[in-house]
Order: sequence, then C-alpha cells, then structure tokens
Amino acid sequence: MQYLAYILRQTARNLRLAWGTQLMTLLTVTLSVLIFAFFFLIYTNMMKAGERLGDDVRIIVYLDDEIVPQMRPQIERKIREFSEVEKIVFISRQNAFEKLGKQLAEEKDVLNDLGPYFLPPSIEIYPLKTLKNLTHINQFSEYLQTLPGVSKVQYGREWLKRFGYFTSLLRLVVLLSGGLLIMSMTFIVSYTIRLTVVSRHEELEILRLLGASSAYIRMPLLLEGLLQGLLGSTLGLGALFILYQWICRRFSGPGLLHLFDFTFFAPEIIAAILFAGILLCTAGSLFSIRRFIRI
Amino acid sequence: MHTSTADNKPLIELVKVSKVYPPDVLALEDVSLQVLRGEILFLTGMSGAGKTTLLKLICSIETPTKGLIEVAGRDLSKIKPAGIQLMRQKIGVAYQDFKLINKLTVMQNIAMAMEVTYKSKGEIKKRIMELLDTLKLTDKVNKPAGELSRGEQQRVALARAAANSPTLLLADEPTGNLDPAATDLVVKLFKQLNESGSTIVIATHDEKIYEETDYRVMDLHYGHISTHTGKNKPRQIDLFESHRA
Ligand SMILES: Nc1ncnc2c1ncn2[C@@H]1O[C@H](COP(=O)(O)OP(=O)(O)OP(=O)(O)O)[C@@H](O)[C@H]1O
Ligand SMILES: [Mg+2]
Repeated sequence: MQYLAYILRQTARNLRLAWGTQLMTLLTVTLSVLIFAFFFLIYTNMMKAGERLGDDVRIIVYLDDEIVPQMRPQIERKIREFSEVEKIVFISRQNAFEKLGKQLAEEKDVLNDLGPYFLPPSIEIYPLKTLKNLTHINQFSEYLQTLPGVSKVQYGREWLKRFGYFTSLLRLVVLLSGGLLIMSMTFIVSYTIRLTVVSRHEELEILRLLGASSAYIRMPLLLEGLLQGLLGSTLGLGALFILYQWICRRFSGPGLLHLFDFTFFAPEIIAAILFAGILLCTAGSLFSIRRFIRI
Repeated sequence: MHTSTADNKPLIELVKVSKVYPPDVLALEDVSLQVLRGEILFLTGMSGAGKTTLLKLICSIETPTKGLIEVAGRDLSKIKPAGIQLMRQKIGVAYQDFKLINKLTVMQNIAMAMEVTYKSKGEIKKRIMELLDTLKLTDKVNKPAGELSRGEQQRVALARAAANSPTLLLADEPTGNLDPAATDLVVKLFKQLNESGSTIVIATHDEKIYEETDYRVMDLHYGHISTHTGKNKPRQIDLFESHRA
C-alpha cells in the first residue's frame, strides 16, 4: 500500500516537474495515434465497401470451343492454381442460349432462327471477396487469357481497377503511418524518460545508496511511459471520433459517403489501438530505463 | 536482537582485505577487522589513510580487490544486487560529502531514506521531527538543504543515516564541521542509537569524541591497521560515561 502510494506520488512529481516536456510528448503521441487511426479508419471502411462491391464481381472467360465435362476438373485446377476462388460455373452454348432466352422473355422468338450456336461457351469465375483478390483481379484476368482455348476475358468495370490501385495506395499509407506511430512513440517516450532520468540523476543515485529496490526506482518511470501511452492514445482516438462525426455531418445525404457507409472502429479495434499505444510507450520507457539506470 | 545466536558472531568481519583504485592507488592493504554487534568502533588515521574506503567497502559501494568481507554473516561478494539494496536499508551511512539533494528540503532529504523502506507518512514525519529535535535543527525542517551551513548539512546527513534506526550506522567524519555544542548533540544521538541496538562505526579525526572513551579505536596508516586500542567492549557498558566507574 505504501509502495503504491509512493509510486503514484513519485510519478505525479515527475510529470509535474517537467510538465512542458511531458506535454510535448503527450502531443506527439496523440498526433501519431490520430494520424495512424485516421488512415486506418478510411482503410477499414474501404475494405468493407470493397466486400460489398465484390458481390457482383465476376470474371467471364469466353471460350473458342465447348468443353467436355471430363475436362472440367483439369481446367478448374488450372484456374485455382493462380488463386483460390469462390465459385466456378461452366456455361455451355446451350446454357447461354437458355439464359438469353429467359432475359428476353416475351421477345425470345427472335432467337428461334438462330439456334444455340451463335453464342460462345464460357466459364464464370467468382473470385473470393477479399480486397486482396479484388485488387489483383487484373493479373488474374491476364493469367486466364493465357489458358488454351480462351478467346476473351471480361470482368468488372474500369473503376474496379482504380479501386484496386487506391486501396493499395491506402494500405501503403496505413503501413507508413503505422511505422511512424511505432517510431515516434517509442522514440519520443524513451527520450522523455531519459530526460527525467538525467534531471533526477542525483536523486536516483542517492536512492540507490539508501537501498531503494530496483522496482522502487523504476516503477514510477515505467508508469510515466504507460500513462503517456494511455492518455495519448485516448486523446488521439477521441480527436478522431470528433473528426469522424464532423465528416458524417458534413457529407450526410446522398453522395460518395453513402456508397461506403462510413462507420467508426469496432470496440475491439479501439481496445487494440489503446493497447498498442500503451505497449509502445511502456516499451519506450523500458528501453530508457534499461539503458540509463544501473539498478 | 542482541539475544539471538547470531549475536556471538561479529556483525562485520574483514579478512585480509585490499583495495586498489585503478590504476594503482593502494587504499587498503591486508586489513583484517571484526566489529561486534552493539559495538562502537572509531576509525582514525590521517587524511588519505583509507577510512572512507573502508566504510564504502562495508556498505558495498566499492568492492574489495582482494579479501573477504562479511556483514551479518553473509559474504558480500555473494549477495545479488537486490540483496545489497535490502542490506543497505539496514545500514545508515552519513557520508563525508553528505550526499544531500540541495533543492529538496531537510524533511524531504531525510524522508527519502524512510520512504525507501515503505514507512508510512505519519511515521516518517514523527521520526524526522524527533531526530531534528535531538540535533537542534527543528527550525530548518522546511529549508532546502542547499541553503544550510556546512555544519547543519552535516547534521542532516546524520539524521538521514539514523532515520531508520539502522542495525549498522557508518558515520564518516560526522563532526568535521561542528562546534563543540553541536558535537555534543551528535555524540548524544550516537549514544541513543547505540542504546537501542545500533552498531556504529565512526571514521574521524576528532580526538575529542573518542579520547575519553573506552571504545575500540583503530588507527589506519597508509592502508594498514597500525594501532588498536580500547577494550572491545559490547554496548551494554556505556562508555561515554564510563569514567564514572
Ligand atoms: N574513487 C577513487 N579513485 C581513486 N583513488 C581514490 C578514490 N577514492 C579514494 N582514493 C584514494 O585512496 C586513498 C584513501 O582514500 P580515502 O578516501 O579512503 O581516505 P580517508 O582516510 O577517508 O581520507 P580523509 O580523512 O581525507 O577523508 C587516498 O589516497 C585517495 O586518494
Ligand atoms: Mg574520508
């Protein structure tokens, strides 16, 4: 109990004594979290949008000739060699003809003279609805084009390709800002703790002579890092939430945002970001403690 | 404490201890010495004789180059850092250079020693006021240590060393800056601590505090023990007033 009281008192003292530095650190941590979480929020929303868009994505491979049923497993294997897919449907000339007839309904008489042979047989491929697959759809179709007996490959629309580029770019930004987050947090916190250690150097040395346990000396510093992490991540996420609400209000009504159905992080993700923030800052202070304190 | 079986063993035992400061300063050479529980021992010797070094070896601030040091029956070289810290909580040291923090108040400086052992706030305050009263420093309690005179700082350093009523008190030149009146206060504190069970080792030039006692006086001369006087009396016999008998 006395131990806890001391640790808390000492931590409060450290924070108070160098409040300017502490505030700068807090600001840096908050901004890092805000920047990272902002891009991550957009990314997760794009992912969700991608999944919904993926529902009507399919690749149609037109063939020169009908495939005999015995050949199907072999072709399926070839397709799956490139990438796992959700479903493969073989459409014979006859199937295609019937489908067209159904689409034309009343006017299907026009087909009477043609017979099923004017439509090419095809394979419909439904890719897995993950973003990775959707963004690689271009390469996939190029691969399909190289298979023997394929006359033409058709898929989605131009924007799907753009969507793919955009999400790849966004993923890069998320990764970069994530890296920035890790570096700035651990670095700035370990730097701040180092300042605390340096400014309290004399005191820490005397504590050592007085028989202070290693935990007694280190815990307040560790707690300082932990608090920076907790407070910084909370503030960063809080700021993002305010920004999020502003965006929602600003762009409400029909428009781009509705396509994406903009939502905030799930509670698990919020917890994960908080946890990561605390972990990184604590790691930063631990680094300085191990480096600059002997006992 | 003094009734336990460990009582018969010396609290401090040095066997052929040498200390060389790099590169080649021989501060102590083949020093052997025992300090019994409850004893008061005076370490004398001219400047540079190795008194401070000897005290630093006992509280493990320095490690010996050669030889064995046991405190309370334990070989210091075999105690892990955490154990050394625990041991230091039971050893009060008044350093020759005080080692006070100038910007902290007298109260805060002394409290550090007691906070380290997790004493309660109330207990800390009570004990500090008691000590400052003994040393006539009550009016300085909230002054920064840096604003005190050398003599006052010296007494604060002593109060900090005595704060936890340590099993062992090491005092390095405790009266060096004190006038006779203040010296008497310090001697009185030593007596009090010794009566309540503390073993005390005092390194000093100040003949006045040991000339009229029967406590053991050990004279260091260039890192060697040269003379050894006194009767090795345990603490039960109060030697500050022994000439009464
Ligand atoms: N940290 C050190 N590094 C190198 N040499 C040292 C160190 N500390 C002490 N010495 C040397 O060791 C010898 C003994 O020093 P010590 O401080 O033990 O003497 P002392 O008896 O306490 O002297 P004084 O009465 O002046 O305090 C001296 O020659 C001193 O110069
Ligand atoms: Mg000395």
